[in-house]
Amino acid sequence: MAELIGGCGTSHVPSIGIALDRGLQDTPDWKPFFDGYIPAKEWIAEQKPDIAVVIFNDHGNAFFLDRVPTLALGVAEDYQIIDEGWGKRDIPPFKGAADFSWHLADAMVEGHFDPLICREIELDHGIQVPMELFFGRPEAWPVKIVPIFVNTVQYPIPTPQRMWELGQLLRRAIESWPGDERIVVFGTGGLTHQLQGARAGFMNRDADKAWLAEIGPNPEKYRDWTREQFVETFGSEGAELIMWLVMRGAMDADVRTVMSHYYAPASMTGAGMVVLENEVHATEEAA
Amino acid sequence: MSARKPAPIPDTPLFDRAGSHRGYELNKMAMSLVSAANREAFAADEEAYLDRYKLSPEQRAAVLARDWQGMIRLGGNIFYILKISALDPMPVTAIGAAQVGMDHEDFLVERLGKERRNG
Repeated sequence: MAELIGGCGTSHVPSIGIALDRGLQDTPDWKPFFDGYIPAKEWIAEQKPDIAVVIFNDHGNAFFLDRVPTLALGVAEDYQIIDEGWGKRDIPPFKGAADFSWHLADAMVEGHFDPLICREIELDHGIQVPMELFFGRPEAWPVKIVPIFVNTVQYPIPTPQRMWELGQLLRRAIESWPGDERIVVFGTGGLTHQLQGARAGFMNRDADKAWLAEIGPNPEKYRDWTREQFVETFGSEGAELIMWLVMRGAMDADVRTVMSHYYAPASMTGAGMVVLENEVHATEEAA
Repeated sequence: MSARKPAPIPDTPLFDRAGSHRGYELNKMAMSLVSAANREAFAADEEAYLDRYKLSPEQRAAVLARDWQGMIRLGGNIFYILKISALDPMPVTAIGAAQVGMDHEDFLVERLGKERRNG
């Protein structure tokens, strides 16, 4: 069976990508943010995953409001970079882990999750930025990807409980896959941000830090929240954090928080990262 | 029969059925700007470009005036209307400040907690 080597949570703020495009990593505004990801890059370089399952939301780029899939799954061999309105960013296209994606499609439908299955689809900053933060700017990405799209733009968005259950299903799909790939799961989005309405610019640093501290040891607290609690605590767009629950649901009950990082504001957003390993995995590594 | 409606959160519009319906044509126009050819057409003759879409007079005026607060109120969703901002570049924080009705610098300091740049 394939091996789940860890779970990562990270923000996917578009201005992070713009900062990289403009070479602003070492400016005072951005250096503390990017420096915090150095250990994450080292961790993933050591772990050498073959496949990254990335849970993210499209931001009105691949999907318009004419059709809004609550869940969609990429099964493509290749994924191109989408033009979000500023021209296509100059980063490499992604290779898809199509075999594992189709296995996951079977597992999802058999497990009563029914995603839109996407054979050809372009990807926006929601997946680009996490990949750049963990893998830098390689000539070609060192992992194949499995994109899982979650609607967090138009209500109704899925519930936190459903995200958790999707994570549990993802774990079973990893364990029932006959390949020997090393798989990492990324939950992306958040942390606090609100881009719309008179509460725009809402920041909740305390809640962000609590989330990073608790998503490893105490995730049930957030799994059992309502969507409205997410919006109230993290802002209307901060409710994207429900997607980290897919990652957390895929991990063991007992995990070790290998590292975490927080910086605010990145543009209008509390930006955070966490790396989790299953306790068993962590123990084996140490032995 | 209707699904339950979540309790409103102050000053926090959720983009639900009503917003999606109200803003559909506005968002559709904004979405079209992901095409370079459409961006050129918009830049060349904005009024003529807007004629291609069934915007309400208020939506049309809000787009022409780059009234971000108005666009959101009229059903625009930030992820779509941001594509309008790509044509005359404007930071998302300035769009945020406009929605709150605050000066940009005050918004950066008071809402986002950045340090004030001009004393």
